[in-house]
Amino acid sequence: MRYPRLIDDRSIWIMVAPSVIWAAHFLLCYWIAAIWCAKEAADGSAPLQPVTWTVAGVTLVALGLIWALARHAWGRYGGSLFITRTIADDRAQERKHFLGHVALLLCALHTLAVIFTALPVLVFDRCW
Amino acid sequence: MSRRTFPQREERHDDTLAFICRFTDRRTGGPYAPRGRHAIFRLKLAPLSATLLLAGCSGPHNWLSGAGREAMRIEALFWPLLIGAGLIWTAVMTLAVVAYRTAEKGGTERQVRAYVVWGGVVFPAVVLTGLLATGLLTLRGIAAQPAAHTVAVDGEQWWWRVRYEGPEGPVVSANEIRLPRGETVRFELTSDDVIHSFWAPAIGGKMDLIPGRTTQLTLTPEKTGSWGGICAEFCGSAHAQMLFRLVVMEPEAYARWLADEARPAQATGPGLEVFLDEGCGACHSIRGTKAQGPVGPDLTHFAGRETLGAGIRPVSRTALRNWIRYPEAIKPGVRMPGYPDMPDARLDRLVDYLMALK
Ligand code: HEC
Ligand SMILES: [Cu+2]
Repeated sequence: MRYPRLIDDRSIWIMVAPSVIWAAHFLLCYWIAAIWCAKEAADGSAPLQPVTWTVAGVTLVALGLIWALARHAWGRYGGSLFITRTIADDRAQERKHFLGHVALLLCALHTLAVIFTALPVLVFDRCW
Repeated sequence: MSRRTFPQREERHDDTLAFICRFTDRRTGGPYAPRGRHAIFRLKLAPLSATLLLAGCSGPHNWLSGAGREAMRIEALFWPLLIGAGLIWTAVMTLAVVAYRTAEKGGTERQVRAYVVWGGVVFPAVVLTGLLATGLLTLRGIAAQPAAHTVAVDGEQWWWRVRYEGPEGPVVSANEIRLPRGETVRFELTSDDVIHSFWAPAIGGKMDLIPGRTTQLTLTPEKTGSWGGICAEFCGSAHAQMLFRLVVMEPEAYARWLADEARPAQATGPGLEVFLDEGCGACHSIRGTKAQGPVGPDLTHFAGRETLGAGIRPVSRTALRNWIRYPEAIKPGVRMPGYPDMPDARLDRLVDYLMALK
């Protein structure tokens, strides 16, 4: 039996995915910094560079995933960032556009949120 | 085009709206215009509440006193934030009132969209990013820095154990921390019971003291004087009575004081026997005597401090007598037994001795 793709036309998962990516990115950054500072830099003096680079990498991956989702929402769902008419019809096509629209908005929001999460490593160069 | 009709008085359930309408209706004579004299009474309370608010803005805990470099960094963040927030609040409220009171206009679809996109998306995103960045930069400025001096502070229920790095080894004291003006001091904060938090608002902070860890904080006092410190994390029944003093001195005076503080106790007298007899020495240390207890505050230079019982009483004969007799009455839950049955003569000798421990 062939399973349907998780995120495809009409799947509602596209609305959940950006938030999940943001949360996973947040946790990863937190864990990376916490573990590094607890193990390597117990006296607080060790540099934070390895953390900075790892977080930068994780951030690029997260932003890439969100970008891919946004393209999906735009292409396959026919969503657009700004809508000029009310989406209210109870039709499959309308629902798809609505999902695409909301997913695009969420992608924009979470792009900003992921950048916010990553900002501290640009500012700090020591564990404390 | 007709002017929009307003909901009548009964229909306005929303308090905020009613509050706004009271002002707008004042001019138009609408249903919410203030009637009678009560609005005037309301205004009379304004100076009173302002006084109450401003009363918090002076004294040894005033974080706007410019007494410490770290506190000043927070102050530098505070004013722009306050003014910015005030401006945004005023703008939003004005818009709300205008939007509610003006007649509808046609063809506003694009205007509304512009409001939402610029006012609801772009503006908050830019402002929040700016706030986050300045917040982070402030945080970096007040995080632990390399420092000229180190002071170890250990939080206990409900007092502070203090250890200086003297030129000839550690110097132990309690509940009062002296600092040289203009020099950066690093605090190494620990706790062996529960979480406390070290905060001297006028100078800077705060930072938690966490059992099993050493946290750090640096402070750079800029004004001499006796500043207030508090425990800022609930730590048990006497938490609100866990205070300390932060005495900022000129660097030369500080060096002299530290050398004095490092010396063993100078006082002698019959009171020392009472102290040892009563078993005070099981908990308290007085360097240079047999009293070497590690449980309570070091009393070697007790009378040289400004306060008693972790900042809650002045050091005076009366306060000290009461403290020894009924510490529980002064600080409920205190980890020191009272001596209510000690004969007056003995207590006098004990107090004479302790008050001589300069
Ligand atoms: C069981 C241990 C214990 C014994 C015995 C004890 N104390 Fe204490 N004492 C403490 C503790 C703990 C504190 C800190 C209380 C607080 O502020 O929360 C304290 C505080 C004090 C202080 C205030 C110190 C300061 O700088 O604030 C004085 C003075 C003092 N004790 C004197 C005495 C004398 C005198 C005796 C004997 C008659 C005595 N203590 C017996 C535990 C003890
Ligand atoms: Cu406390």
